[in-house]
Amino acid sequence: MERSPVAFDQNFSGAAGDFPALLRRRSLLAPATASGLPQAGTPQKVWQPTEATTILAFKFSGGVLVAGDRRATAGNTVVYDRADKVLEIDRHSIMAIAGVPATAWEMARVLEHSCQYFRRTQLQEMSVDGKVRALSKLLRDNFGFVMQGVGVVVPIFATYDFYPKPEARLYFYDAMGAQFEVTDYAATGSGSPAVRGILYYENNWGAKPLRELGEDEAVSIALRALDTAAESDTSTGGVDRSGKIYPLIKIVSHEGITTLPESKIAAVFKETVA
Amino acid sequence: MIEEPYRWVEAIANRREYIEAQLAPGSPIAALGCRDGILFVTLGQTRQKIFEIYDRIAMGAIGHPGDIERLRMAAIELASTEGFTRSATDVSLRRLVHYSLSPAMKSAFEQVYGAPYLARMLFAEVGDQPNEDLFLRVEYDGEIATNGATYAQARQDFAALSGTEQSRELMETFLATQHTSDATLEAALNSALDAWSIGHMTLQTGDTKKTPEHAAVRKHRQEQLANAGIEAALLERGGNRAIRYRSLPDKELRPLIRD
Repeated sequence: MERSPVAFDQNFSGAAGDFPALLRRRSLLAPATASGLPQAGTPQKVWQPTEATTILAFKFSGGVLVAGDRRATAGNTVVYDRADKVLEIDRHSIMAIAGVPATAWEMARVLEHSCQYFRRTQLQEMSVDGKVRALSKLLRDNFGFVMQGVGVVVPIFATYDFYPKPEARLYFYDAMGAQFEVTDYAATGSGSPAVRGILYYENNWGAKPLRELGEDEAVSIALRALDTAAESDTSTGGVDRSGKIYPLIKIVSHEGITTLPESKIAAVFKETVA
Repeated sequence: MIEEPYRWVEAIANRREYIEAQLAPGSPIAALGCRDGILFVTLGQTRQKIFEIYDRIAMGAIGHPGDIERLRMAAIELASTEGFTRSATDVSLRRLVHYSLSPAMKSAFEQVYGAPYLARMLFAEVGDQPNEDLFLRVEYDGEIATNGATYAQARQDFAALSGTEQSRELMETFLATQHTSDATLEAALNSALDAWSIGHMTLQTGDTKKTPEHAAVRKHRQEQLANAGIEAALLERGGNRAIRYRSLPDKELRPLIRD
């Protein structure tokens, strides 16, 4: 007889599984195994990092600013110029992605649903450490595909922690799932070396440290950094002056997430960058 | 037993009697559709009885905590996987209850060698307009009651759940006269507390078909509010956030109570 869709497991325990486990039980998510690792006999491909984009995030006086360019590429071709790489996970968390969009968006979707599933089933919010770890596990589970040369994702995670003390928290990851908490700034993607240089410079010898910047000053630095990255990196869109396409900028603060309107970004750009 | 139809009917009748007796002391829950959304209210001191199921769906339940927990988990799992594989707008309470929960509860109830679910649940799904709000009551045997209009009965903007049928009916009678869908949150809260008190009094006094006097209801309500906490949640109607469920803490509601 076919099993009822409702869980009739008499040994059922609500604490048994997380959301990815539930999806795997229903065959809605690829199994987390090393099966993606190259088998003996299959041609070995050298893994080429292909996270072609630029994402940056830094802490400033109003929380954490996360910015990403809008270009999506396939090899040398620009396939899309309005890609959204700065994704909201919940009311206080942002995942910004560099890497293969299909995998990255799916990961963000799983993470978003995991947080909600945890809150609904366990009747409490998932802690920041829990969310950071959940993302790490998704990356780890995906590593087999990365080794096969498909599906690499290198995200930044920005969130606001209320416990034990209210403060913004910022993490970056590597493709294997190691997480690194940073004090000031993080950048990922092919354009990130240039951005990292700029942010390091600004933080140490700029007019003031990144942490003390006001919102407009922070937006200005983010735009300048992305524009610089786009100067030498073909995979980074930067600011499209003729098409009027601006980077996507979101701010995480105590109150939640704010997406800066394009008009505001355009105004700051016109005044301080262009 | 199964080979003899008469014995089976008898077994089911015994089982029904047993479950009804188990559920009888369950403290009432009222759910009222108002301008701001759908308000769930109950009074209690111990375990939580109102839960978030999905973006627009909430559940109130009475019964055995273990059974409530299994049904709650099943509902969340179904809604979450549907919302993940398709989209949040594809998650519908109607489908969740009619196609998944009700058949499962019915077969658990009628398989006389297995354990039935000792639970009675009230689900609500908030719509963009008050007339799109959906309330569904699911009984331990899988029976479903809805607030929708039928040939014999007008649409209702509220639903009630209680330990006994009589108690629930008196709550519904009260709400049918006192509550309208354009009520403010404050008005809805006060109607809900009155309805809860009527339901609770009826459970204590037992065999009565008459709604208690207004003064007696007020007195009972005051006594209970002094001893128990208000458990409430709102499924918000407006707003651009996808997740509409918000639990309302006791101290936020106390100032809204009118005596």
